[in-house]
Amino acid sequence: MQISYKPGSGLLHRLNPLTKGTVAFAAIIFFSVNNLSGAVIATIIAGFLLICKLSGVALLDVIMSIRRIGLLLVIVALIQGFSVDGFNPMLAVEAVLRIVGVFLVAGVYLTISSQSELTCFWEACFRPLALIGFPAREFALIMVIAVRFFPVILGEIERIRMAQIARGARLNGGGLLSSATALMPLMIPTLTQAVIRAGELAQAMEARGYRVSAQRTRYQRFRFGFIDLIAASVPLLIFYYLLRPFMSE
Amino acid sequence: MIVFDQVSFWYKDKSETSFELKEVSFSLNKGRINGIVGGNGSGKSTVAKLIAGLIPANAGNLDVEGQNPYQQLHQSGFLAGLIFQNPENQIVGTTVEEDLAFGLENLGLSHEVMHHRIVSTAERFGLTSLLRQPVTSLSGGQKQLLCIASVMVMEPAWVIFDEPTSHLDPWARLDFWKIIDEFVHHHGLGVVIISQLAEDLTRFENILGFKAGKLIFNGVRDEFKMADNDVHEHFNFPESWKFESLMLAEHP
Amino acid sequence: MASHVTELKLNNIKVKYGSATLLDNLCGNFTRGQLNLIVGRAGSGKSTLLRTIAGFHKEFSGSIMADDKAFDPSGNISLVFQNPEALFFNGSVGEEVGYALKMRGVLPDEIECTSKKWLQQWGLDPECCWHRHPLELSGGEKRRLALAACTVFLPPVVLLDEPLAGLDVKGQHALADMLKAMATDHIVIVVTHEPEALMTDSSSLLYLRSGCGLWFTPETFLYQALSESDFFPLPHWYSSAVTPFREKPALPRLEAGAVHKFIQEWRRADADKL
Repeated sequence: MQISYKPGSGLLHRLNPLTKGTVAFAAIIFFSVNNLSGAVIATIIAGFLLICKLSGVALLDVIMSIRRIGLLLVIVALIQGFSVDGFNPMLAVEAVLRIVGVFLVAGVYLTISSQSELTCFWEACFRPLALIGFPAREFALIMVIAVRFFPVILGEIERIRMAQIARGARLNGGGLLSSATALMPLMIPTLTQAVIRAGELAQAMEARGYRVSAQRTRYQRFRFGFIDLIAASVPLLIFYYLLRPFMSE
Repeated sequence: MIVFDQVSFWYKDKSETSFELKEVSFSLNKGRINGIVGGNGSGKSTVAKLIAGLIPANAGNLDVEGQNPYQQLHQSGFLAGLIFQNPENQIVGTTVEEDLAFGLENLGLSHEVMHHRIVSTAERFGLTSLLRQPVTSLSGGQKQLLCIASVMVMEPAWVIFDEPTSHLDPWARLDFWKIIDEFVHHHGLGVVIISQLAEDLTRFENILGFKAGKLIFNGVRDEFKMADNDVHEHFNFPESWKFESLMLAEHP
Repeated sequence: MASHVTELKLNNIKVKYGSATLLDNLCGNFTRGQLNLIVGRAGSGKSTLLRTIAGFHKEFSGSIMADDKAFDPSGNISLVFQNPEALFFNGSVGEEVGYALKMRGVLPDEIECTSKKWLQQWGLDPECCWHRHPLELSGGEKRRLALAACTVFLPPVVLLDEPLAGLDVKGQHALADMLKAMATDHIVIVVTHEPEALMTDSSSLLYLRSGCGLWFTPETFLYQALSESDFFPLPHWYSSAVTPFREKPALPRLEAGAVHKFIQEWRRADADKL
């Protein structure tokens, strides 16, 4: 049960990655710092899930993953629920709903955003830094490659681990120093392989014409459509709601 | 056409007598499967990098379709694609579509041209339904197909494969050779294949044999079969040809 | 000492990977004295089966028995993956080979003596390579050092995943001989895409296809591959050479000399009958 990108063509999938990122970011802030009643939060969550369902988001994995934070939810419910005048189930439910809200938004965001969309959002966040010479695009490519090779290298560590244990390595030693030495049979081969891999990748990229100095064009093109306009109202509303107490004075 | 004229290559940090490649001359034509054979350190991978323009020759002249590949790759574009043996280590994008786009972005093409090329290449390689899939969900054979497609989408005149079959199972190897046959004999693509496997050797129509940085055999398949024993010994003469010659000896 | 295991029995093995069933209802034996081969397409579960036997993949039901006792893989197996030279982490060949013995508390003198003997066994001259760095060796030597380092503690069961990949034919033949020598005292199980290079030393072959395991002898395997082209792609020359003779009880191994001799013998036998 892993939350990962599931391709789709629904309304939410078609949003501009910048809109997606901003809405998700705003919604997470909203769920963490509102002071609405449990019923209202529950309604908002239900509405959110309904929109997701209607636009064809694969919700099952996200909802099933809530089990993973089950323990956290119980602890939060207990801490928030007990107040000076005994246990108040309403407070506990509200606290739990807030966390579930944050979790669902983050889960859905990761389900509907491909790696390139995540990178696009990343890059947009870093773009202001490009003015002072920060290589935003190269940095984004590094992120993509890191994410791309993460599972590959994990699989490799697992293979090396099994083979070295079979040879007799004891990889979980005692104290800090001894555990560092115990990890040598795992660390050295993994690093060596990672360096070899990086060298091969660099060559393959160069053979496909990659140069840092070159003017590269961009294939991914994200349109800013009518739905984006509607969706963009969500963060605006949220910021209005959050800033309201300061403005009414 | 690829022409090497007295080409030498050595790494700067080593002494000038330790050649990776020493005064090598040959020419390769499109329309047949060109194979390069040789052991470790024979210089065969150096030849591949020279053709792809990854490294410049230290001495001598080489040109690919009348142009210098090193200058071409570093200034304006792309002459020869190079595909390495491990597909896992040359896929840059996280989805099939992104990986196909990577090389095109480097060429500086417009979105419309890229889109058109990606769609038609994906169709040609049967990857259309996988375009949006994350690369991690592909099988080994599909990953190799993607590597080939990602280079072909850049429309090179030549493609060099560095030990392409060593990571494939026997079924995928057959599929690979079907693709190569199609490329060479129906699409006019120049193909050079580097391999150590004896059975791959039987597929080559033109063979270059390297040993310690020198070209020691250059000829077509039948000439290779007729070559002297030293050559056969050194380059792992395939079992099928041994059998052929046994039968020939029996019924001359 | 556990190295007296002569037979490894699989009873109703069912291997799962997440929610997918990779292998179902697998029964059969791996024996000593020959190479146990496993073949199949990429993704058919060959590597996972090795991991299961090695005790690293826990999602399975059924039992693995070593001579009527439950098999405890811990300390009794060696698991060697493709490109085993990736495992090197010591500064010299001597330390690399001796590592497995050192971790088992063997005395230093004994380590040196055993390691040198074992290097010799794997075709490496201990005198000239003992102090060299493992990564300085040639491709074939590295592979042999890696296999020596993974088996120096004489585990009763040796599991190898594509040990021949990336070697030239001479290297493959040399390695096949060494694996055969190893098989006299150990149960050697080899996953391979090149069964033709190892079949001479084998009498049992497990073919994995769509979740099922089928057991063959090399002869029945060759027979099946000849009559069904998609079953296993044999080299074309071999199929066309022996197809007329596939009804014969014994088919030759995939070597030009052997095939030629086989065909001559059967032709002569047919001529005698007439």
